[in-house]
Amino acid sequence: MKTRTQKILAGLIVLAVAFLVWLPCLHLLFTRPAAHFRSLTGLSPVARQLAARHLQLWTDPSRLQAELDKMRASNAEWDFMGRSFLVWSLANLALRDPASKPLYLQTMDLIIGETLRLEKQEGMYHFLMPYARERHYLAQPAHSLFLDGEIALMLAARRMVEEKPEYKPLLTERVDAIVEHFRNSPHLLLESYPDEGWMFDHCVALDAIKLADCLDGSDHSALIHDWLAMARRKLTDPRTGLLISSFTADGITLDGPEGSSIWMVAHSLQLLDEDFARDQYERARKELGEITLGFGYAHEWPKSWKGQADVDSGPIIPGFEISAGSSGMAFIGAASFGDDRFLVPLAATLEFTGFPARSHGRLKYCASNQVGDAALLYAATLGPLWQKAKVQSKP
Amino acid sequence: MKNSLWKKLVGARRAEFLSARDLLQRAAAVSVLFLLAHLAGLREFTSALNGTTGSAAVDAKLGAFLAAVYILLYLAFVILVPVLVLAAAILAIGRRFIQKEKSSPANTL
Repeated sequence: MKTRTQKILAGLIVLAVAFLVWLPCLHLLFTRPAAHFRSLTGLSPVARQLAARHLQLWTDPSRLQAELDKMRASNAEWDFMGRSFLVWSLANLALRDPASKPLYLQTMDLIIGETLRLEKQEGMYHFLMPYARERHYLAQPAHSLFLDGEIALMLAARRMVEEKPEYKPLLTERVDAIVEHFRNSPHLLLESYPDEGWMFDHCVALDAIKLADCLDGSDHSALIHDWLAMARRKLTDPRTGLLISSFTADGITLDGPEGSSIWMVAHSLQLLDEDFARDQYERARKELGEITLGFGYAHEWPKSWKGQADVDSGPIIPGFEISAGSSGMAFIGAASFGDDRFLVPLAATLEFTGFPARSHGRLKYCASNQVGDAALLYAATLGPLWQKAKVQSKP
Repeated sequence: MKNSLWKKLVGARRAEFLSARDLLQRAAAVSVLFLLAHLAGLREFTSALNGTTGSAAVDAKLGAFLAAVYILLYLAFVILVPVLVLAAAILAIGRRFIQKEKSSPANTL
């Protein structure tokens, strides 16, 4: 006859065994084939459902405003980036799903029109964090490459899907201004915030310039070449070989390599220099990407760099050092380079911890917000726009 | 009718600590609590994870509290409940095996 203590001890041992059996199996509840998140042609289920949710948001002004207000209370940049990622996604959606192209184009025009109106009416600070007002931009008149680059890429993406004559002068004006600022900058570095430039913004702006070249027959290949050569030389972290995230107008490092930046940078570089892009992705994958018990995630910083959690990194889960921002952006990297061995575990983590809510064919991740979901939609759809630009720019 | 339901509930409470039945009761309790939280729409409040509130109807502190409640119940549902069920299954199989051993002819001799 067993004593009570023996029975409890046996129960605890069995519980421990059950825990050890279940933990490695947990990911199986959330793991789906890569095609569930991203398909090579057409739309994956996740892309279709996320797109349906965003299209619904942009046709329901009160719902949209509520969503934007929630984000703006934390970070005005998210309002702007949510628009950018959605427009870039819609361009890829239109190329993947021609039957719904009119709806995608209509929504792109709505977002672009509304964004340009707000920029004109409220000024560039409307989409920037408050510290942008605390100092003067070194280059005057003040311009933020963050806004100029992303708006230019929105306009270019729209025109790559289908020409819209009204946007041609807007894109030319924006690109000419960026190019002029590059020419006037002694170090080829432009500010997004006062005396603060970002790798992410430079790469996006160069993508916009590259697309403008495709569309309008201009040639800025020398500028792009020189900038990339400068970045390799001056803006690379010597310990990891990864591009740093932010710097002063003189090229002094502010933030080293960061996951919230490098995954998108690697994707952007694909349009500018494929080999450099793949090199950066592989380094980021090695330094920042992790898979534990079938769940994928990413760190914000490599082991050799210490940083503080901020609005870009999102919350950092201690122990595993999981960064919400970096893990979200890692989808863009993994999708860009067809790295399904990382994408599938990342998607398992998203299903596990993103708290997906599906209804009426629409999907949102409750733990995310509009900008997060728009970035995921971009990861689920990217490819055709870059592909079209590469085909068009071949001599 | 009421009396028999009450008896069943009281009977359910009396399962021996860490017995298979006890583990299954705990799994059921966690599942019911999670289901209630889910049906009450608390999943929306997990947006607290990215620094935004799930609903304009509640303030940020209450939103964060509801998010924490939902996340704990969710983790308990997807991690703890399967562990409890698995452990209950192991205990039940083990007990049956031991009983078989005891009642086998070799042991009765």
